[in-house]
Amino acid sequence: MALDRSAGRLARCIKCTRHDRILPIRTFTTSAASRLEVQETQTSSDAPPPPATADAPKPKLRDPNTVSTRAAEQQLIQHQRITPVGSRRRRAAIASTSNIPFSELPYQCFQEARALLQADRKEKLEVIRAQRERIERLKAKDVAPQDEAHKEKRLVDMRRKLEEQKILADINDPVVKRKFEDGEGDLTKPIYRLLADRQWRSYRRTLLLQRITQMNVVPDVLPAIDSVISTTLSFAGKRVQHGDFVDSLMSEQAPIMQIQPYDKGKRLYTVVVVNPDVPNVEKDAFDYRCHFLASNIEISPIDTRVHLGRLSEESQVILPWLPAYGQKGAPYQRMSIFVLEQPKSDDPSSGSSHQTLDVAAVKETGRYTQRHGFNLRSFVDKHLLKPVGVDLFRTQWDEGTAAVMQRAGIIGWDVEFKRKRVEPLPYRRMDSVRYR
Amino acid sequence: MIKAPSTSLLRAFSPLWRAESVPWVARGCIAQQVHFSTAEQRMARKKGMGPKTDMRITLIRYHLQHPLTPRPLRFSRTRALRHWTIHRAWRLYQNKLRLTRQLELERQYNSMNAACEALRLMDGDGLTQEERSKLGAEIEGSNDMGRLYRIAMKKDDGVRADAVGKGVPIEYARIQTETPPRDGWNSAWTR
Repeated sequence: MALDRSAGRLARCIKCTRHDRILPIRTFTTSAASRLEVQETQTSSDAPPPPATADAPKPKLRDPNTVSTRAAEQQLIQHQRITPVGSRRRRAAIASTSNIPFSELPYQCFQEARALLQADRKEKLEVIRAQRERIERLKAKDVAPQDEAHKEKRLVDMRRKLEEQKILADINDPVVKRKFEDGEGDLTKPIYRLLADRQWRSYRRTLLLQRITQMNVVPDVLPAIDSVISTTLSFAGKRVQHGDFVDSLMSEQAPIMQIQPYDKGKRLYTVVVVNPDVPNVEKDAFDYRCHFLASNIEISPIDTRVHLGRLSEESQVILPWLPAYGQKGAPYQRMSIFVLEQPKSDDPSSGSSHQTLDVAAVKETGRYTQRHGFNLRSFVDKHLLKPVGVDLFRTQWDEGTAAVMQRAGIIGWDVEFKRKRVEPLPYRRMDSVRYR
Repeated sequence: MIKAPSTSLLRAFSPLWRAESVPWVARGCIAQQVHFSTAEQRMARKKGMGPKTDMRITLIRYHLQHPLTPRPLRFSRTRALRHWTIHRAWRLYQNKLRLTRQLELERQYNSMNAACEALRLMDGDGLTQEERSKLGAEIEGSNDMGRLYRIAMKKDDGVRADAVGKGVPIEYARIQTETPPRDGWNSAWTR
């Protein structure tokens, strides 16, 4: 393929004969020979008279992926109204090379490596097939009732080994790596889930745990948490980072959460929003308040979005969304969001693999329907929930808080907290010998 | 008459003595190098005078002394992916080799271990206690149970492959051959 004539700064060897040279090279000298050449081409092009056309000559249609000269880019933008795609170096490379798929690139070492990895993958597939057969055989085997538990344990271990083998088969594949890096990974497949989990754990999870620990969410609300779910929070369409201050008007409506698990299957989660910083003047300490409580939220690795304001009132929501507010004079309030996994169902014949929490029964019992003084530890223990994810945002008094509190019917919008003045201890000067 | 000191060091290092043997492009480099004395050369010199340094040599020296040498390479996306693939394949291959070597060593060790164990339980007639009782031979007679095992475990005598303790390295041993004989030629032999 010919390069554009005035490629300019692009690396190009003038002596290089790999590319077809349709156009004459503009040489350094203007000696007679080259001048003649140029003149000949000009006269040859002038020889046939240009056809008399009434309309303007149509501009060439350019591909936004292959324009590499400034002039061509300008023409693309002006005539076709599209901008070039990618960097100029990339566009020049695409224009000058043919479209070979990545796995067929003619580099010897690369192809040898690919051959080796393909052979290894075949072996792994063989192991996977054999392991699957072993699992089937063990499942079909009849065992005495006292050995049932042992058989179940063996099956669990064999299935875990099978998952590991599945990952080992794909982990060396550059196509899989590229797909994942481009965000096209299918999270129903174990390898993409592993890569996503690894990516989350490498930075964002460390950051989350740092923020949670620094803000003391963990010893205050729950004793400990091992975060295995990644969460993202957004209020009124805007993303909120872990620990960010959220304006009271933005947090008036319930947020949207993306809860991303990294193991397979659908499961049911309970989401709780607890504020551990409610000031209690009599105690001179702080109380808990629950701003939101909902159960039986179905999440899977590909179905992660949940709008906390649009859940079912009868079967999911126990306490609807109460806007986050920090009263005037009080310090900022930490709003911690916990994602709790509901226990697995005991009988395998039921439709879902996880038990539904009986929301009506919880509402009726009334122990956990009180917002003020909500004890999350007791709730978790009572319903055998497992904390798997945590998030945090903060609120404080700002211009809109009073209006938000009034609209939500919360008393105390006109209360201002003031610090009690502590009288200093009397200062008695000691004898002057000490002060030198 | 005091002997003149040796000029070999001077000849080796001084630019004045060695300039003829050096190509003209490297003259500047040599001039930039060592003087006879290791003390700082604090000679006052006019600007523009002094040895003519070659810029190319200076640049090469600067680049070689650069703290980031070798500079980190920057790959394009496909180049990086190809590099990663080759790296994974090479690591896989090396691990397979290591594993096969390890298994082979383990197999050899286990074989030696099993052989020693068999020797330990064997008596002078080559039978273990079990075999003796099965065959009905007398049990009390086997007083040299495991003799060969104890001989094999001795590390401080005789010729050994690894020469631990007081053992003699196996290279000192004489391979059994038909000729020449150990005793040599006996000239005083008579019938």
